[in-house]
Amino acid sequence: MESLVHLNPYEGKTVFGFLLQFVIRIGYFLFGELSFSDLASDEIQVIVLAGVSASSALVGSFLVLRKMTMLANSLSHTILLGIVSVYLLTGAHDGLSNVFVHVEPINIHAMLLAALATGLVTAFLTEFLTKVARLQEDASTGLIFSSLFALGIILVTLLTRNAHIGTEVVMGNVDALRLDDCKLVLVIFAINAALFTLFFKEFKITTFDPALSQAFGISTVFFNYLLMTQVSCTAIGAFRAVGALMVLAFITGPALTARLLTNDLKGMLFLAIGLGSIASLIGVALSRHFLTVYGLALSTGGVVVCTLTVFFAVAALYRCSVDFSLRDVA
Amino acid sequence: MGASLIDYFTDAVLRGPTIGSMLMCLAASLIGVIIFLRKQSLLGEALSHAAYPGVIIGVICAGLILEDDVNDAATAIFILLGAFCTALLGLVAINWLERGFKIRTDSALCFALSVFFGIGLTLASDVQFSFPALYRQAQSYLYGQASTMMDVHIIIYGALAIVVILTTLLLGKELQTITFNRDFAKSIGMKVSAIDAIIFILTALSVVIGIRSVGVVLMSAMLIAPAAAARQYTNNFHIMLLLAGLFGVISGFFGNYISVELSQYLAIRYPGSRLAMPTGPTIVLVASSICFLSLLFAPGRGLLLRLMRVTYFRHRCIRENILKTLWRFDQDFDRDKNIPFEHILQYQSVSRLYLHCILLSLIREGWLGKSQSNVYRLTSDGRKKASQIVRLHRLWEVYLADYVGIGAERVHHNAEEMEHIITPELERELTRLLKDPQVDPHRQRIPPMNANMDGI
Amino acid sequence: MNAPHPPSQPSALRIRQLSVNYDKNPVLWDISLEVPAGKLVGIIGPNGAGKSTLIKAILGLVTPISGKVEFFNKPLKEVRLRVAYVPQRESVDWDFPITVRDLVLMGRYGRIGLFNWPRQADREAAERCLEMVDMLPYANRQISQLSGGQQQRTFIARALLQEADIYFMDEPFAGIDLATEAIIMDILRQLKSKGKTVFIVHHDLNTVEEYFDWVIMLNMHLVACGSVLQAFNPDTLNAAYGKSYALFDEALKLSQQKSSGII
Repeated sequence: MESLVHLNPYEGKTVFGFLLQFVIRIGYFLFGELSFSDLASDEIQVIVLAGVSASSALVGSFLVLRKMTMLANSLSHTILLGIVSVYLLTGAHDGLSNVFVHVEPINIHAMLLAALATGLVTAFLTEFLTKVARLQEDASTGLIFSSLFALGIILVTLLTRNAHIGTEVVMGNVDALRLDDCKLVLVIFAINAALFTLFFKEFKITTFDPALSQAFGISTVFFNYLLMTQVSCTAIGAFRAVGALMVLAFITGPALTARLLTNDLKGMLFLAIGLGSIASLIGVALSRHFLTVYGLALSTGGVVVCTLTVFFAVAALYRCSVDFSLRDVA
Repeated sequence: MGASLIDYFTDAVLRGPTIGSMLMCLAASLIGVIIFLRKQSLLGEALSHAAYPGVIIGVICAGLILEDDVNDAATAIFILLGAFCTALLGLVAINWLERGFKIRTDSALCFALSVFFGIGLTLASDVQFSFPALYRQAQSYLYGQASTMMDVHIIIYGALAIVVILTTLLLGKELQTITFNRDFAKSIGMKVSAIDAIIFILTALSVVIGIRSVGVVLMSAMLIAPAAAARQYTNNFHIMLLLAGLFGVISGFFGNYISVELSQYLAIRYPGSRLAMPTGPTIVLVASSICFLSLLFAPGRGLLLRLMRVTYFRHRCIRENILKTLWRFDQDFDRDKNIPFEHILQYQSVSRLYLHCILLSLIREGWLGKSQSNVYRLTSDGRKKASQIVRLHRLWEVYLADYVGIGAERVHHNAEEMEHIITPELERELTRLLKDPQVDPHRQRIPPMNANMDGI
Repeated sequence: MNAPHPPSQPSALRIRQLSVNYDKNPVLWDISLEVPAGKLVGIIGPNGAGKSTLIKAILGLVTPISGKVEFFNKPLKEVRLRVAYVPQRESVDWDFPITVRDLVLMGRYGRIGLFNWPRQADREAAERCLEMVDMLPYANRQISQLSGGQQQRTFIARALLQEADIYFMDEPFAGIDLATEAIIMDILRQLKSKGKTVFIVHHDLNTVEEYFDWVIMLNMHLVACGSVLQAFNPDTLNAAYGKSYALFDEALKLSQQKSSGII
C-alpha cells in the first residue's frame, strides 16, 4: 500500500542525506504535519530497530550483571518454537508465513503469549535438567535451546514450505517491517521501561546481593522470572526485524560498551539505550547509503551489529588509553 | 524413495553425505567429551558462530580467485580455511575480552558469537548478489546440507576428522589428567598450556568440519549431546569417549537419513517449491533424543531408574517397619503372639489394601505366618530379621546420643531412617566403636548381632 | 546448657527445636537456645558445623523442617526492620557498577519499600554510617577498587544504616587488615553499649574471649550456649571439635544416595 501512495523519500540518499532527511521528517512529525501512516519504510526500520535496541539495552544490562546472557541466547532460539506452537495451537498455520513474509498484519497478542510461554517453558526445562536430571548447567542450557530450535526449524520448514524461511529466522527481514511492528516494539519498550523504573531498587539489589534481598523479604525468584519474561518479550519484538541470533548483539553490545564507559548503574542503562538507538539510526542510514552508492543490498540488521561493534571497539580503545595513562600517573 | 539402508553407504549420491556426516559427528562428539568435562559446553556455540563469517569470506575468495574454475572441492577448502581462521579469531577475541576488560565468560561468549555472526550475515547479504551461484552453498552452512557432498568431500573432511580423532586418542592420558586435576598435571610436568591450546584448536577444527552437515547455528549440540548422553552410562573416561563417538556416529547417520527421506517426501508433495530439509536440525534432534533417553533410562544414573530405586527403597522401609511392629508385640511376654490385622494397621500410615498386599508378600517370603484369617505372627526367620533391624536402630541411637552428643529425646527420628540404611560393614564399625553396647538411650535392650542376614 | 536471664525482658533471640535438612539429611539438629539482649555473641564450631546455615535458617533464607524462631517474642515477619544481616563478602560480585555510598544506601531498601526512592534523610544517615566506619573519604569510589577490609567496613556501614536492634554477621573478621579489625571491634562495642545484640559467625578460637561475652557452640547440634565464662571451656570445646564424625559422614552420605536413588 505504501509504495503506491508514497515514493520513498530516502531513495537515492547517501548517509548524510539520509540523516538530514530523517531529522527534517521527524520535525514534521513532531509538528503534526506528518502522520503515522505516512512514515516511510526506512523510518519504520529506524523506529523498530531503535525500539529493539532500547529494550535490549535495558534487559541486557541486567543480564550482563547477573551473568545470565547465555539464558538470553537460549530464549532467543526457543522463541521460534514458541511462535510455531502458538500458530499451530490456534490453527492458523497459514498465518505462520506471515510472521516471516508479512503478507498480513501479525497478531500481537499471539506473539506476546508465545513469548511468555516460551520463556517459562525454557526456564523450567533447563532447571529440570539441572536439578532433577543432574546435568551440568552449561550442558543443560545448550541442549535445551539446540533441541527446541532444531524442532522449531523442522516444523517451520514443513509448515511454511518456504525454502528461505531458515535464513529469515536468523536474519530477520527488515525491509518488510510494517507499522504493526512499530507498535509491538514500542509497547514492549514501554513495558520494559515501566518495569525497570518501578522496580529499579529491587532489580539492583537482587542482582547485586541476593542474600540480603531475601533477608529484606524481596523475592529473588520473582525478579528472576520477571527478567526472563521481559527478555522473551524483547526477543519476540526483535524476531521479525533482526532474527533470532542478532538480538543477542543488541542485548550484550550496548550494555558492555556502556559498562566500559561508566561506573554508575543508571548511567549505564541510559548510555546503553542511547548507544543502541544511535547505532540503529546510523545502521539504517549506512544501509541506504550502500544501496545508493554501491548498489549493495546489505542486511540492515547486520550493518547495525557492525556499528555496535565499532562503538564497542572505540570504547575499548578509549578505556585502554585511560587505563594506560592512569598507570603512568600511579 | 525405496533406498535401503545399504544404499546409503554404496550409492554414489547418498554415500557422500552419509559417511561424511558420520565422520564429522564422530570428531565433534569426541572432542565434545573433553569440552563437556571442562564445563565449557557453550564454547562450541561461540566457535561455530564465529566460523560463519569465515565461511562467507571463503566463498568470496573462491569466487574471486577461481572465477570460472569454481569447483566443489576447491570451494570446500577455501571455506574450511576461512572458517578455521575466523573461529580462531573468535577464540582470541573472547580471551581478550575476558582478560583485557574483565568481562565475564558468558557475556564474552555471547557478545563474540553474535558480533561475528552479524558480520557474517552482513557479508552473506552481499554475496547474495555478487556471487549468487556460491551463495546457495554458503547458506547451506547455516543449518547444514550434507546432501551435496561428494566423495571428494569425504576425503577432505574424513582426513581432518581422523586428525582430530587420533589426536584425542593419543593425548587421552594428558587430557584426562588435566581435566580432572589441573594443578596435579602441572606438578608432574605436563605442558598444560600447550595442551589447552591443542584442545582449543581441535575444538575449532571439529566445529569447522562439522558445520557442513550440522550447520553453524546448531553445531554446539553435537559437542554436548553425545558427551552428556555418554556420561549417563559411565564414569570411565575412555568408555565415555567410546560411547560418545558411537552416539555421534548414530546421530550422523540417522539424522542424514531422516533429512533425505523428508526432503524426498517434500519434493513429492510440493514439487514446485524445491524444498529440502537441512541435515543439521535432524541430526541434532536424533542426538538430543539419544541424550534425553539416556538421561531418563540409563542404568545407574537414569532418572526413571532412580525413581524406581527410591520407590523400592521406601517400600522396603515399610516392610521392615511392619516386621519391627510385630517384633515389639512379640517381646511382650504376656501378649498373644498372634497379632490381628487392625493392630498392625494402627502403627503404619498406609492404606488397608496396601497393608494386605505387603503382609501377603511377607508371608510368601517366609517372614510371617498366618494362624487364622487376618491374624499374623512372625516366623523364626522373621523374628531374627526384625531383631536385626531393631538392633541397628538402637545401635544408631547409642551412637548419636553418646558419641555425637545429641540428646536422647531427639535420636529416635533419625534412627528410624538410618536403620534401613546401615550396611553390615557400618554395623561392625559401630559395634566396635561403641564397644558392643547392651542398652540404648531409652534403656531398652539391644538385640545381639546376627550373622548372614540379607535385606528382604 | 542455657544460661538464665532476667524474665522481665524478652530474649533478643529464642530458638525452639530448629532442624534444617539438606536433601533429607540433617544439617542442624533440634537447636534450642535463648540469648538475652545486649550481648556480643560468637557462633563457633568446626567447618561444616552449620554456622552459616543457622543464620540463614533464623533469617528465613533456608526453610527448616521444624522449629520456631522468635525475636523479642515475635516472629521474623513482624520485626524484619529490627534485624540486620551482613552476608559473607564472597557472596557478592565486587565488580558491580556501584559506589560505596550507594551500596550503603541499599541498607534502607527494606524500609523504603516498593516504588519509593531514598530521600535526603536516608542519604544523610548513610553519610553518618560511612563516617562511623571511617569510609567517608571513599564514599564516591567504585567498590571494585576497595581492599578486603574496606569492603567489610562498607558492608557493616550498610548494616548500621538499617538501625536494627539485632545484627547477624557472617565471618566479618575473615581476611581483613588490623585497622579494619579495630574499627569493627569499636563499632561492636558501641552497639553493645546501646543495648543492641550482635551475632557473629567466627572462625578464630583464639579471639573468642577477647571479642565476645556470649557464645553459641555448634556442631550440627547445640554443644553449648551461654556466657563465655560458663560455656567456653575445654569440655565444651572438646565436645564441639573433638569427636570424630567419620562414621556419621559416611552414614549420611549413604542416606543421601539412597534418597536420590543413586544406589
